[in-house]
Amino acid sequence: MSEQAALTQTQKTRIWIEANLLGRLSPAVTLSAYLFLFVPIVVLVAYSFNASRSTVVWSGFTFDWYGEVFTDRGLRQALKVSAIIAFVSALVSTAIGTLTALAIVRRRFPGRDALSTLLLAPMVLPEIVMAVALLVFMVALNITLGYFSMIVSHVLITVPFATLIVRAAAASLDKRLEEAAADLGANEWQIFWRVTFPLLLPPIVTAFLLAATLSFDNFVMSTFTSGVGTTPLPLRIYSMLKLGITPEINALGALMVLLNVLVVVAVMGRHLKLVLKK
Amino acid sequence: MGAMQNRRGFIVTLLMLAPATVLIAVFLIAPMLIVLGYSFAGRDAYGGIVPGFNLDSYRDLFQPLYFPIFWNSVKLAFWNTVLCVLTAYPIAYFIAFRAGRFAPVMLILMLIPFWIDFLIRISAWVVLMGRNGMINSVLTATILDEPARMLGTYGAVLVGLVYAFLPSAVFPIYAALQPIDRALLEAGRDLGAGPFQNFRRVTLPLSLPGVMAACLFVFVPSMGVFAIPVLLGGGKSIIVGNLIVQLFLDFRNMPLGSAVSIVLLAFSSLGILLYMRTLRRVEQARA
Amino acid sequence: MKTSKTLLMSVASVGALLLGFTAASAEELHLYAWADEVPQAVLDDFSKATGIEVTLDTFDSNESLIAKLEAGASGYDLIEPSQYAVQILEKKGLVEPLDHAKLPNLGNLSAVFQNISFDPGNKVSVPFIWGTTGFAYNSDCVKEPITSWKSLWDEKYKGRIYMLDNMLAAYIAGLQVNGFKANTTNADEIAKATESLIQQKPLLAGYNASNFADLVSSGEACIVEAWSGNVLQAIEQNPKVHYVLPDEGGTMWVDGFSIAKGAKNLDAAYKFLNYILQPEVAAKVTTLTKVASAVEKSKALLPPELANNPAVFPPDDKLAKADFILDLGDAMKHYQDGWTKVKATE
Repeated sequence: MSEQAALTQTQKTRIWIEANLLGRLSPAVTLSAYLFLFVPIVVLVAYSFNASRSTVVWSGFTFDWYGEVFTDRGLRQALKVSAIIAFVSALVSTAIGTLTALAIVRRRFPGRDALSTLLLAPMVLPEIVMAVALLVFMVALNITLGYFSMIVSHVLITVPFATLIVRAAAASLDKRLEEAAADLGANEWQIFWRVTFPLLLPPIVTAFLLAATLSFDNFVMSTFTSGVGTTPLPLRIYSMLKLGITPEINALGALMVLLNVLVVVAVMGRHLKLVLKK
Repeated sequence: MGAMQNRRGFIVTLLMLAPATVLIAVFLIAPMLIVLGYSFAGRDAYGGIVPGFNLDSYRDLFQPLYFPIFWNSVKLAFWNTVLCVLTAYPIAYFIAFRAGRFAPVMLILMLIPFWIDFLIRISAWVVLMGRNGMINSVLTATILDEPARMLGTYGAVLVGLVYAFLPSAVFPIYAALQPIDRALLEAGRDLGAGPFQNFRRVTLPLSLPGVMAACLFVFVPSMGVFAIPVLLGGGKSIIVGNLIVQLFLDFRNMPLGSAVSIVLLAFSSLGILLYMRTLRRVEQARA
Repeated sequence: MKTSKTLLMSVASVGALLLGFTAASAEELHLYAWADEVPQAVLDDFSKATGIEVTLDTFDSNESLIAKLEAGASGYDLIEPSQYAVQILEKKGLVEPLDHAKLPNLGNLSAVFQNISFDPGNKVSVPFIWGTTGFAYNSDCVKEPITSWKSLWDEKYKGRIYMLDNMLAAYIAGLQVNGFKANTTNADEIAKATESLIQQKPLLAGYNASNFADLVSSGEACIVEAWSGNVLQAIEQNPKVHYVLPDEGGTMWVDGFSIAKGAKNLDAAYKFLNYILQPEVAAKVTTLTKVASAVEKSKALLPPELANNPAVFPPDDKLAKADFILDLGDAMKHYQDGWTKVKATE
């Protein structure tokens, strides 16, 4: 039972003022921040349907710009490149991340802490430094820039994220399930495939989706490691942007918003449902 | 089950760690070493590498020509960090303490812009801030006579940077605020502390690791951006990111570009070390 | 769990589909050219006529072109450097010598382009289009016609001026406004130009080498330093925009095609070169890009508004005054240092 110390009137007033100030501050900032984050996106999506090229005057509803997005050969090519790279690099990244996460969580070995910190390096180092280093590396070894260089660079960037996600999940896994399987006579391989992996599948899929999204959106690494015919979508958007904003870019942006929302909902879907049900 | 201390277990562990280690060693460490090597090399008239060892590139960097660029980058990253953290803290506080069961939803909402392509988000701002853009239409209709100049200013670059890095600041602070034991705050209140005092004496110190992580996640990457100054800043300012791009892709000066990269790397490592040291000190003080 | 398994399945099938798409296709040609100079329509016509699939990647500075090729094994077949870049690429051995036996249409080039200073006898390049560097203004905000670089230093237009975000282009203005030649290698002259550019910076809205034509056309900018082609395309949409080759001279530039060293699709490359050397195709290029072609006979095929447009085909006396930038050799370092200084000034 809590005991309330006797408060003087001045103390009570001061508390009241502070409560109101502080109380209003965080909701106010939060609301403004969310508006700040979302208004440009809403405007972008809204104007992707604008019949004129203007970004201010509304002159009617149209799907024309979406049509242009789908008929633009350069965009289609870029989309194909980005999708392939995202898929492959996410696959590789998740595989490596899972193996590493399990090793770090389940196994004891000398230098474990040092190694796990080192593996997080790509997350904190400036991306441009790593991109430039990779470019120099590829050139020095005379490797043609293209799919290989881009996939490698994207894997490098996304592996720490994948590792972190699987690691957090693996750490909270109930060891008793695996122990029970061992007691029942299963060997290591069987334990992994029949118990651990299925249990880890949701976070692994999450890691995969996150890695794919990060790769799909990646700009800095791709700038330095892309080659001929392998211009990914963000680079294509950058050159389109330098030529000026067109409603086509708005439409493309809106589509990407949709794609990302779908991915987020797919990943967090169950979570959301639980929350909204209450 | 016990620890897998036998030999076979050890080999399996090695195999499991191999891919990640090879990845880092071959594609991160080795390239960095090459860049380090290049930074000490010479350069021929058209940009090829002349092997050798000299400090010319580093000496060039300390000329008055390049120092302003580094200084500008630090200033920009600093202001960006300040703005992001000051804005992120109330948001993280709200989600952690006031949002209740909506917290996951709000976090996801904050993630969505983060997952939308970075350039598209910036382009939305180019549209909004143009002379004939939406913000100006509202302003000229109400307060101003002439459209305000927004694109091509320092402010525009800051807006873009905050827009890009705000979520990165919110998440670490939230992660630090969320586990704070509410009982501690109740105890403070029972002892007569006002909300502000409670905040200053209990919440703030406990959230400090999160704030520092936010600073790290914003400051270091801010030093490496190059698209935002070009798209929102009118290409007028050149920070370290632009310089690296320029030296590698335009001027074809690999030794100098490598030197700049190494300096940036040194800066970032310094930041990381500072962070880890302060973190340890904060954790020790609390223990 | 079930949702995750379904997700996994769909992801796997998408992956299989995508891998299917990467199957090899017909004969290809990889172009690396200036943005906005090789019309997609012309490429489509070429593909239809020959069955060769063309990919076009673009750049917006000669320097990044050279850097990309120097990085080795770029994968490009045909590249489109400007005149001085051709010299640099030749010196570095990054272009293949042209086999004239495979270029029957080479004679379609105007005589001046068959024997041009930076590549006499067309050993490594086929000039494609040529234009000028000057500036453009919007008459809505520039009330009387202007003719000199000095207007880009005029306080009256503060905050509404853009310079090209291209080192050599910016220095054209910086040097010529001081009475120097745009292709000087004199360190003192370059230093003076650097000072002028730094003086100009507070008046600028920015540096822009990509959508400057849009900026001046929409009124966002009053005056922009400009390459003729892009502006002329904008003038068609907005007659309030005017292009000016300044009194101090401005420059003339020539963009042409060269074969990158190690190009794999040589046959396709020669087919393309012969294709664009045809007068009808050259005329189509000019009509779409509003830039003059190096193929003489194409001029006769142009609509009169284009053929007689002094912005597209400047009169000879004006052209004689224009500077022509060639390889600046070691002096590049002065320009680079100066440009870095200009950009770094706040």
